[in-house]
Amino acid sequence: MRRSTIPPPIGHRPRRIEASLADCCGRRGLLAAFAAGSLALAAGPADAGREEEAAAFIKRIADRALSILSQTDKDQKTRIAELERLLEEATDLDLIAKMVLGSYWRRATPDQRRRYLELFRKLVRKELASKINRYSGERIEVVGSRDIDDRDTVVSTLVHRAEKQPPYRVDWRVRRSKGRFLIIDVVAEGVSLLITKSGEFREIVAKRGIEGLLAGMARQLEGEDTQSQVRS
Amino acid sequence: MRWLVSLTAIRFKDAQQKGVAIRSTGTQGKQPCGPHRRRDGDRVPAPPAARVRLVAVIALVLSIGAWRGAAAAEHDDPFEPFNRAVFQFNRVVDGLVLKPASELYGLIVPRPAKTAISNLLDTLRAPIVFLNDILQGERERAGITLSRFLINGSLGFFGLFDMASEFGYLKHDEDFGQTLAVHGVGEGPYLMLPILGPSNPRDAVGLVVDSFLFDPMRYVAPTRVRTTRTVSAAVVTRYELGPSLDELERSSIDFYAALRSVYRQKREAEIRNGRPPADSGYEEIFNETFDDPAPDRAPAEKN
Repeated sequence: MRRSTIPPPIGHRPRRIEASLADCCGRRGLLAAFAAGSLALAAGPADAGREEEAAAFIKRIADRALSILSQTDKDQKTRIAELERLLEEATDLDLIAKMVLGSYWRRATPDQRRRYLELFRKLVRKELASKINRYSGERIEVVGSRDIDDRDTVVSTLVHRAEKQPPYRVDWRVRRSKGRFLIIDVVAEGVSLLITKSGEFREIVAKRGIEGLLAGMARQLEGEDTQSQVRS
Repeated sequence: MRWLVSLTAIRFKDAQQKGVAIRSTGTQGKQPCGPHRRRDGDRVPAPPAARVRLVAVIALVLSIGAWRGAAAAEHDDPFEPFNRAVFQFNRVVDGLVLKPASELYGLIVPRPAKTAISNLLDTLRAPIVFLNDILQGERERAGITLSRFLINGSLGFFGLFDMASEFGYLKHDEDFGQTLAVHGVGEGPYLMLPILGPSNPRDAVGLVVDSFLFDPMRYVAPTRVRTTRTVSAAVVTRYELGPSLDELERSSIDFYAALRSVYRQKREAEIRNGRPPADSGYEEIFNETFDDPAPDRAPAEKN
């Protein structure tokens, strides 16, 4: 369980630890150095600090998202635009879309790929916009983070609801590439958005082909408005 | 529901027969093959009809063995046409009965009463959870379940109030399907059960064991009480799942496929009891690379 308080600057990981070690040796003597050393070991010698950095990254993104959501006095269009900017900044949407299709991506023509990515992005944005007024004071607490492999880290959070209800658990899988973090999956109470979507989309492609999937996505994009009108 | 019970009963009977058969051949092998012994052994081969069933059971056991530990592939759904038909049926029934009932429940029952009903149902379920905690070797969780049952049953006014949570004993759920999984039984093919919804052979067997063997209400409560409990549990569960189900339906193109994936992931997470997955079987999704250029034209595909 690691709690991050101050977001450390990305990309300065090794130097920070060396510096803190030097500090300890110089000023507080051997004991402190030993303590700091064992802490560094506990954090994992190979990629010490990535877990903390990933946790700090998620904390920053969550705080920004919540601040956008809670500014209910602001114009809705502005808030949706801000959320979309955050989405592009914090997630690797193209990679997510590709991973959802998996091997089917390879069989798609350049034109199909372009249309697919476009539809995927539009669907995610639509989903995001539909949630903008659902916010009711939830609070996100980072409770830990864990490296999966040499690129991916899972940051665990608890989402505390305003009412007297138990919090639910949301895990964020972030990938570090070219010195920055990007969210590639969200796992709510054990259910991964990416895996769910890939289960669904791959089944559609297997049955109806990529064109069938694209048609379905387009229908979904248009149909949503009429559907919600019927419901409300 | 009844067909499931009879199915398990048949399996159980067959398993007993199989046990007898194996034991007899075992002794036969050890004994010198005198004529007396041999006549005794004549009883061992089962009559043809029973033998067919025996073969079926062995095949079933073997195939469960094959499912052992293997994470199900996302498309592993051999009974899909049947499952989809049942799913359609379930949606009709849900639309006609369960959903309206749950919405009515949501509208007319005040919030404190809802919480109390939900707490009561949890307390009634606690013995089942406790047994499964024990069978999974989860001593600490078994202790929590027992404490919850004792605290809520007394201080919580017969389970209406969740006092145990105030003391830090938070609720968790277990079932016999999870217990089987912990002991290495694979989930088997996806199964859409009428009314009951997403399942698989392992979880279906678990459900039968939980409701007909582990549930103390089965032995002490009159039928009317049990029926009331089952019906209210169905309505409350539907009510609590409502928002998530609606959300999933709204955001999916193929609701059936999305629900199947969610069910599998949810079960896997429940079996792990919140521990990180050792090997989720889904890791390959994250390890794919997409550097190669697109083909010039689409390979032959439907449409």
